[in-house]
Amino acid sequence: MNRVLGVLRVLGVLGVLAVLAIAAAAPLVAHHEPLAKFDAKKPIRIRGVVSLVDWRNPHAHIFVNVAGADRVTNWAVELESPIDLELNGWLKTTIQPGDKVAIQGLAARDNSRQIWATAVVNGAGKEVFTVNTLPPPMPLREQPPPKWPDGQPKLGSVAGGVQGYWAFPSATALVENGVNAPMDEWGLLKNVADAPKVAPMQRWALQVYKERQERFLRDDPMYLNCKPPGGPRQFQLAYGVQFVEDRARQRIFVLIGSGNNNYRIIYTDGRSHQGQVGGDDENPLFYGRAVGKWDAGTLAIDTRGFNEDFWFTNGGLPHTDQLTLIEKLTRPNLDTLKYDLTVDDPGAYTRPWSASWTLRWVAGKDMPRHICQENRS
Amino acid sequence: MKRLAFALLAVCLLAVPVLAQEGHPLKGSWLGTWAGNKIHGNDVLLVLTWDGKNVTGDINPGTDNIKVKNATLNPEGWLVHLEADAKDKAGQAVTYTIDGKIENLPLANRVVSGTWKDSRGNTGAFRIGRQ
Repeated sequence: MNRVLGVLRVLGVLGVLAVLAIAAAAPLVAHHEPLAKFDAKKPIRIRGVVSLVDWRNPHAHIFVNVAGADRVTNWAVELESPIDLELNGWLKTTIQPGDKVAIQGLAARDNSRQIWATAVVNGAGKEVFTVNTLPPPMPLREQPPPKWPDGQPKLGSVAGGVQGYWAFPSATALVENGVNAPMDEWGLLKNVADAPKVAPMQRWALQVYKERQERFLRDDPMYLNCKPPGGPRQFQLAYGVQFVEDRARQRIFVLIGSGNNNYRIIYTDGRSHQGQVGGDDENPLFYGRAVGKWDAGTLAIDTRGFNEDFWFTNGGLPHTDQLTLIEKLTRPNLDTLKYDLTVDDPGAYTRPWSASWTLRWVAGKDMPRHICQENRS
Repeated sequence: MKRLAFALLAVCLLAVPVLAQEGHPLKGSWLGTWAGNKIHGNDVLLVLTWDGKNVTGDINPGTDNIKVKNATLNPEGWLVHLEADAKDKAGQAVTYTIDGKIENLPLANRVVSGTWKDSRGNTGAFRIGRQ
């Protein structure tokens, strides 16, 4: 009897350890391109009773007991982030343990009992947890941008002024201007055959890009290792970007609402790209060394000195440490930030190329906070 | 207790985060072996870089200082070809040719695996891992 109990004890310990291992591994693709984890060719439907609601970033989950012929199995149903769900009026209590639900979604690629929910219907037959990510409507009449006394446009909110941040980028992945290469919001191409059109990549870079795409972007270091979204990627993130203009110290801080919540500094004091001599001057950085200069209403930023440890765009276009970015920021009206970019990286591309998009001002609100390491402990 | 220790080890191995590979796939420091190399020893260190057009680098920098004279990477299959002129202890010339393939491309600790041969007809297995 003692021997049987001993074996059961060991099996129990192994079971707990296995669960811990899965729990440790599963969030690696959290708040990621859903297709990295779930298969669009494997639609699935389940009905059952909710056993638990886990309302935490990067994704809310509901756990559902599904009765089978001989036993009950528990499924993890993955939803959008609580930030998105709450912005759309849904609460942790919208669905509660004991509620009956019907789920429609995509099955996990690894055949585990996980579902990416595309529709959740409660016991009353009402669809819940729907998410609408449309930007706020544009005002009927364009308003001029707020300006500093010297005439330069204000890039962000200031003390005593209207608060807000920039979000809803019109493009969420880098694509050369004029190119039509349909992709989803995470930069996953609808057709990998379009890869050569996206940017003028060298052969090795194109192959790397294609392989990242074919792996559904699951190697993205921003999600795998919480690496900073350097370069233009900080202007493509789901939860926006905010500028803090420190005019007294002649620098602009760029804050991000997601990723690893890191910040970038754009120096406007006329310094060179060199860092602190004998300090970090030889050290390539995730955000590079950015120097900016105002020219009329445009802030032109020249950034170089990047490291190679991150993806500089959603979708996984490669870059090297030879990357130089010329970014131009203009605020043509109160609600619009125009972002023009020239990428010059002779290590990965055959010629310099450009991309442009706009962001929308979300007035009266502060950035949502979402950190890529959340829910990993 | 042994079982528990084994299980813990297995859990730790499972939980090791997978690191992404960025930049040019050959760039970096590589450590490994060219098995059976009686002239320059079994262990080998390569430091490779990418200038946008060419892969350049050194084999065993600091000890043998063998310059890589020709290096190519074919992205179709990630085939690697390296050539280098060296000298043995007697000062006699020997040319190395290495052909391999990058494995585990998405990982930072990726591997080049293949064969080495020299101008004297010696050959063996070649395997280096990125550090």
